[in-house]
Amino acid sequence: MHTILVLVRKDFALLFRDKVSISLTFLVPFVLIYLFGQVFHVNSKDPGPSGIPIAVVRQSDDPAAARLVEALQAVKPLRVVTEFVNPDKSTRPLAEGDLRPLMRADAFRFALVIPADLIRQDGIGIHLRTYSNPRNEVEAQMVNGILQRTLFSSVPELLGRSLQARARAAVGGERLDRFNDAVAASVARTFGGDAADIRARMAAGSFGLGGAGTGVGTAQPDRPAVRDFLSSLVKVEDIQVAGKDVKSPSATMLVGGWAMQFLLFALTASATALFSEKASGIFQRVLSSPATRSDILWSKFIYGAILGLVQLMVLFLAGQLLYGIEIGPQFPHLLLVCVVAASACTAFGMLIASVSPTAEAARGISTFVILVTCAVGGAWFPVSFMPEFIQKCSRLTLVYWSMEGFSQVLWSHASLAELLPTLGRLAAMTAALMALAVWRFRRGRIFE
Amino acid sequence: MSPPSPIVSAKGVVKRFGPVTALDGVSLDIAPGEFFGLLGPNGAGKSTLMSLISGLKSLDGGTLNVNGEGAAAGSAGARRSLGLVPQHIALYTDLSAEANLRIFGGLYGLRGRALEGRIDSVLEAVQLADRRRDPVKAFSGGMQRRLNLAASLLNEPRLLLCDEPTVGVDPQSRNAIFEFLKERNRAGLTIIYSTHYMEEATRLCSRIGIIDHGRILALGTIDELLARLPFEEEIRYPSGPATAALAAELAAFGEVASLDGTDRFRPRPGYPLSSFYAITERHGLAPRLFTSQRPTLEALFLQLTGRTLRE
Repeated sequence: MHTILVLVRKDFALLFRDKVSISLTFLVPFVLIYLFGQVFHVNSKDPGPSGIPIAVVRQSDDPAAARLVEALQAVKPLRVVTEFVNPDKSTRPLAEGDLRPLMRADAFRFALVIPADLIRQDGIGIHLRTYSNPRNEVEAQMVNGILQRTLFSSVPELLGRSLQARARAAVGGERLDRFNDAVAASVARTFGGDAADIRARMAAGSFGLGGAGTGVGTAQPDRPAVRDFLSSLVKVEDIQVAGKDVKSPSATMLVGGWAMQFLLFALTASATALFSEKASGIFQRVLSSPATRSDILWSKFIYGAILGLVQLMVLFLAGQLLYGIEIGPQFPHLLLVCVVAASACTAFGMLIASVSPTAEAARGISTFVILVTCAVGGAWFPVSFMPEFIQKCSRLTLVYWSMEGFSQVLWSHASLAELLPTLGRLAAMTAALMALAVWRFRRGRIFE
Repeated sequence: MSPPSPIVSAKGVVKRFGPVTALDGVSLDIAPGEFFGLLGPNGAGKSTLMSLISGLKSLDGGTLNVNGEGAAAGSAGARRSLGLVPQHIALYTDLSAEANLRIFGGLYGLRGRALEGRIDSVLEAVQLADRRRDPVKAFSGGMQRRLNLAASLLNEPRLLLCDEPTVGVDPQSRNAIFEFLKERNRAGLTIIYSTHYMEEATRLCSRIGIIDHGRILALGTIDELLARLPFEEEIRYPSGPATAALAAELAAFGEVASLDGTDRFRPRPGYPLSSFYAITERHGLAPRLFTSQRPTLEALFLQLTGRTLRE
């Protein structure tokens, strides 16, 4: 037992000599639990996600359409976008024609169109159109749920208006007005209340089904029977902007996140091989030849990028063989994204190696940074579920933009022009990370 | 005819690491074809000087030219003309001997037949031609050292820097390396050999610089260095109570130093050995207790620093 205790003491002595390891021992769990808490809104007064953008195009002048927009604006998880911002920063109301290009550019992934024929003329019920890019399953389910709930809360009123419109068309305005007057007077006599008020509500479509205050027949959209009934009256035309033809949606949605985590760990490990070459004296031999420090760094970068590219391609090939992820038609674009993602991950690994005093420290720092960037970058949860400031941070991570690139190619089948901004961002990140790494390597002592 | 310009010329070289001055005004010239030894204890500044000559580190003061053409240490021209044998086995041990040599030869721009020819040549020279396809990790320590040396000769350097190249090597392999280096030196290769083993420096080097605390304390051929000692012979005997009275009496005729349980008597020049033996006989000490030897670099180092090379 004494021997074991001596050896345990030795390990603690070594740990306490390593300031990086000590810091990470406490920092990693702390930061990760903080991020998880932020994502799931633990202990938050305002739980649940917020700010998921949804575009709303209102083509109907019906006051009920305006109230539907207001109802959506009041739903906390959503951020309703109704205006199109021109290049000169002036704005105009969003048009339905704006939706597809903006959704392909990922300005938002969900849209609701309230058409001019909101109140159906061909039968009883209402008519809506939704546009969606459900590239993240969890997010899509949540937004659908919120939309459904909000719509069904407004359905009774809209349904009443639909009945009124239908009756007006069938029996004529004059006869309907007389009927309404008679019913309003009868209701006022029997249940009390002001006949004129009841008449006004009937004209607005409210028969008390929406809980307008009469207490008669209050609709409860959460109840399955009510929901089924309402569903039959609400005609929603769903237009999926992207991913409609994807054969294996779940795997295609997830593969980008897997790929990035895998790549970051693999390429950071590869970059930390610099330390073993230093320890063996190989840098002394290499640098006493005509080779320079820059030659070593760029050779490592090129090696890492090629290795990462090969690993990504193998990963996607395996995804195709095992889970039906379709890469064939998009192969050239996928290759481009893989090249820049592998380059960015390699540059990231080299930066970690350049700021780390030892290989052990590099491993610790990289584990910490990779886990955090994967969490913040959206590899684990939809970015839209996170607080707004973390959402802003996520756009600074290469995980976010690499996943964006994979998703654009595999899910949205983006064109090269659509892909270029993402590729540009990743290339810029690669250049910035590599510049920092080279600067640090030149100042550091790894080559001495 | 003027003497050839030095292949290495250091003037007032200074190198600092933070508050520590590793080299403090080192000046020396090394002529082409020399087998120059850099002798000093660990931490004396040998490896730092080797690193500066090979361009791995930059100077903080002074000038250092390499390759006889005035090229500054670290310049491309200087590096192309030298080979470095690092202290470590600086090889990729998972790869074969020839794969290693192909990599390091490629760094000097060698390729194709020229590269293969150089690989054949150096493997023959270090007697590893028959193991060329074996992974380096399967080699003995001595074989790895020889390959470490071979990798430094691929570019046919004019100057070979050997930074303690025999650390951890068995005597047989060490001898093989010594013979190899001597042969190369005879063929015209300039060698700078750093070591803290006096025996290695004495056996190999035509000229030696003794370095300690970043300063060159003495510089010259072995004879020139030993001539700096104020005695021609050193007599050693076990120190202890039995010899304490002898030591006290001998102090009048020279210097007596006690080290590691041994007294070292260094008589003044001209002191007759017959007098010494007369004294020992008078003290009743048997002749077999005494050994006599020519002074060594160790003694010179002790004389210069008050410490042994191992301290």
